[in-house]
Amino acid sequence: MVTLEEFTTPDSTQASQWQRTWRTVASRLMGERDTEQQAKQEHELRKLPETRLSHIVPSIDWSPAAELLAQALSRQGLESEPVVFFITPPHGGHGEVVGHWARQQGVDEIPPPTYQALTDGSLEWVKHCAPFKRWALPELERHMLRHSQGLQGVREFLERAMSGRLGHGVIGCDSWTYAYLQHVVGVEGAPVFTLQALEGEQLASYFAAIASSQEDELAVYSTRTGKLVLPRRDDQVRKATANGELQRLAAHCRGHLGVAWHYWRERLREPVSEHGAQAHSQKLWLLDALADAELPATTGDVAMLVLHALLLHGGLEDQALGDVLPFSHHEALNARLALTRQGILSCQGSRWQVAPLSYASVRQLLESRNYLVDPL
Amino acid sequence: MDDPKRYARLFNDIDGPTLITLAVILVCVVLLIIVSQRGLNWLANRLHGQVRFRVFALVPLTRLLILITALAIAVPIVIEPSLRNMVTVLGAVGLAIGFALKDYVSSLIAGVVSAIELPYRPGDWVDIEGTYGEVRHVGMRTVKILTPDDDLVTVPHLKLWDTAIYNANNGETSLQCVASFYLHPAHEAGWVRKALRDVALTSAYLKFDQPITVVAEEQPWGTHYRIRAYPVDPRQQFLFITDLTVRGKRVLSQAGVKAALLPPDAVMDSPDSAGGRRGQPPGR
Repeated sequence: MVTLEEFTTPDSTQASQWQRTWRTVASRLMGERDTEQQAKQEHELRKLPETRLSHIVPSIDWSPAAELLAQALSRQGLESEPVVFFITPPHGGHGEVVGHWARQQGVDEIPPPTYQALTDGSLEWVKHCAPFKRWALPELERHMLRHSQGLQGVREFLERAMSGRLGHGVIGCDSWTYAYLQHVVGVEGAPVFTLQALEGEQLASYFAAIASSQEDELAVYSTRTGKLVLPRRDDQVRKATANGELQRLAAHCRGHLGVAWHYWRERLREPVSEHGAQAHSQKLWLLDALADAELPATTGDVAMLVLHALLLHGGLEDQALGDVLPFSHHEALNARLALTRQGILSCQGSRWQVAPLSYASVRQLLESRNYLVDPL
Repeated sequence: MDDPKRYARLFNDIDGPTLITLAVILVCVVLLIIVSQRGLNWLANRLHGQVRFRVFALVPLTRLLILITALAIAVPIVIEPSLRNMVTVLGAVGLAIGFALKDYVSSLIAGVVSAIELPYRPGDWVDIEGTYGEVRHVGMRTVKILTPDDDLVTVPHLKLWDTAIYNANNGETSLQCVASFYLHPAHEAGWVRKALRDVALTSAYLKFDQPITVVAEEQPWGTHYRIRAYPVDPRQQFLFITDLTVRGKRVLSQAGVKAALLPPDAVMDSPDSAGGRRGQPPGR
């Protein structure tokens, strides 16, 4: 847990971005398959069954992060601060962390307003916050809309909260929404915490730790290099040397645990046995982290605007997406469908969001085209 | 009787191999120019942001370098490079130009100057004598401007000597756009100012690292508001202004703010002072 000013991306993040650019150029010139030699071909591997995957890569438990947040607030004497922000990038778990914190501390959570209330510019939900003395707001992105009426509520709420009229609270917020609100509302002055980016070694420890004890013999190799990515738990000798590929993954994900977890879960493979029988192999393979759904550099403005709108709102439903874009709902839907077909978007509940495996390339492309990007 | 011999001494012997050498130089120059121009344009059109403008700026510079190199190679092959010979040849050429091809050569020289001073480069949005559009090609003699109405206008470089050239983005990605609103005098100006600022802040095209300004100007018929803001990409300027206008009108209309009813003889602002010209360089 670090303050926003202390946050740094992993060492080789910039190199990873250059690599991604080079891969895009190379795949255009030489074709997708010839860009890099693979030590293990994808067709020799298959996805893991869901049951086994849930043992090896269970869902992230965000409660330790909530405890870290509580400790950080206590250590820095911020418990009486009117507002403290906790921000993470998409899939980074800020809602879960602040939700856990609220339950641990026994404070009330402020529910998000309805979509109708947001588009009407209603301030009713802000008025309902008045009785709280200590509160938590897990997902601030659900309380605003980039719409001429959609900022009034969040502006009023933050004004009251930051002036101390609502007591003390912790706000969980998507890092993209936070970047946007910095410009449209002004949230300077409030302390901001986030999770420090993980390096490859920390990722290795985490992935080894979350695998259930039945998977003690588990070893993961890279299809790109054929080298060990995650050694067996008892293999101390190789542990020190096996972090190169995970450092690459960490750099690619900008050190964000949530994104890296999705990579780990989506790209683990097991070998196909000769007779096609179900083999419970302890030797698993990790597909190349960079060979995922990437946006071509020639992506048009409409697609860019859709992606940017989704990121600024932490995901949107189709109706809301049409309302925040400067073209018809029909065009917005077509663009969203095209991006979904390319694997760039995924659906969480009824909200469309940039898929975790595409997040890094989408962020890089938006940044290269001068769109507002998050600070993480 | 001596004249033919004297002129002959100006030039080297033009024999077969010399002609072949000159032809090879000519072919190489043409090929290099075509390849470099098309290659750089192809590359720039696939790039975005500042890099795009940097690559575009290389187009005329590369051509100029190729031409200078070719001349430096070809001239000594044709002419004996002594001071007397050069003065004689340049004098004769200058006389011909002065009488027959003054404007043509003036444009060529202005083209060289434009490649060095860069008053415009491909990708810039310029206004030259009322022609506003995106510079698509900077040639040796002319600059081609694509207007928003999809007309390709060819303007000779010699305009550079005596005409003001308005460059809205000057090789950068920031281009200020202005959306105007003409309102009836009976309204709460403070609210309108905030509402119009929110309209800009909620535009999908807005570039956030540039300021947003809402300017109000009282007129005999009402109040003229202008939102001055920057789109993410200069090519989005018309979509950006349209978005600001459409959403601004909706917000004002919902709040019951009425548009100004101008009398038939009302004197409107000139396009420049009203910000009617689409792209304006910052500070204008």
